[in-house]
Amino acid sequence: MSCEHAERDLDTYLDNELDAATAMDIHGHLNECAACRRRVAEREALGRLVRAAPYYSAPDRLRARVLAQTTRARSVRRLLTWAAAAVLVVSVGGGLSLWRSAVTLGDAMADDVVDSHVRSLMASHLFDVESTDQHTVKPWFLGKLDFSPPVADLASIGFPLVGGRLDYVGGRPVAALVYQRQRHTINVFVSPALNDVFTQANVQSLRGFHIHHWVHDRMSFWAVSDLNEAELTQFCEALEAS
Amino acid sequence: MPLRAFEETVLPHLDAVFNYARWLTKNTADAEDLVQEACVRAMRFLSSLRDDDARAWLFAIVRNTWYSRVSRRANMAEAIPLDGARDVRPDGALDPEERLLQQHTVALVRAALEQLPVDFREVIVLREFEGLSYKEIAAVVRVPIGTVMSRLARGRERLMAVLKLTAPMETLR
Repeated sequence: MSCEHAERDLDTYLDNELDAATAMDIHGHLNECAACRRRVAEREALGRLVRAAPYYSAPDRLRARVLAQTTRARSVRRLLTWAAAAVLVVSVGGGLSLWRSAVTLGDAMADDVVDSHVRSLMASHLFDVESTDQHTVKPWFLGKLDFSPPVADLASIGFPLVGGRLDYVGGRPVAALVYQRQRHTINVFVSPALNDVFTQANVQSLRGFHIHHWVHDRMSFWAVSDLNEAELTQFCEALEAS
Repeated sequence: MPLRAFEETVLPHLDAVFNYARWLTKNTADAEDLVQEACVRAMRFLSSLRDDDARAWLFAIVRNTWYSRVSRRANMAEAIPLDGARDVRPDGALDPEERLLQQHTVALVRAALEQLPVDFREVIVLREFEGLSYKEIAAVVRVPIGTVMSRLARGRERLMAVLKLTAPMETLR
């Protein structure tokens, strides 16, 4: 093994993230090469130095605030449960408590969808894979997610696919597909539909963005854009039908 | 519903989460607000937590929350030039005591780490302080493992370059 090779894998070696065979090779090389041994020593010293930097423990007041938050949430939830139970007792509708938690979660999702959309535009992290070819974008997700998102190109009706990226919405990794309509960006977040959450299709507006949600083939879709409502609807219908 | 579970999920990791937030924001008050907001989100999305890796899940939520806040304020903290370690020079004659030297070194390392661009800083914090695997870091930061590797390597190179100029590396050897 050459020094160049060893140097390239040195961090991975020291982090114990190399496969056994390569690690053995490096180990062998280090036995023979004083220069690389020096590099290892330097890296190890650096690691010790960094770990000597301050570790910031959570202040007690933060712990108390977080605890108070959960307690508050619990009492609100208890109240809701009682209210739902009361409603059940007078048999107005058994689906209400289910509906209520679905609405709350749906709102939270919509909020997070808008956040991710804004983040993707402002942090200049719109794409991990930039391509107008669905046969490039779809395989890119392989191995990065435990599902394969359906990827359609709608260029023929004026919504070209421009790329995709991994994102994190509602506490879960999702595939983000990026489409363009003139100067407007449309983010479509795709993930497997969970049985227990919000499966109702819906349309809403939040902070100046339009959001469409639907479930198709057990996949959950959230489309968000500052595009006008009519065109976004056209886009979503075309995507659902594709 | 899983509020008990929330406490059991989040509170054990509060120190780790706060440390990460503190290194992201470089400021205690911001870090506290960030963690609190992240906890609200975590509570809402607890049902989406599938496996047992709550810590990486929480880091990802903190990171997302932070980026949302930054973009909401349209105030990229990273654009502010930092002159942390620039004018700090070790002066052997002034630091005769081991303890002082140690404190001095810690201050230098902290400044050097804070000076790093956040992309490098966060992978180093997640790796060195929290011992996350490359795979876990990749999941938190949402980049391929190869990118984690190169960010770690480049971040360490930069740290090394800064510290070689300022800190007596031998002191901790």
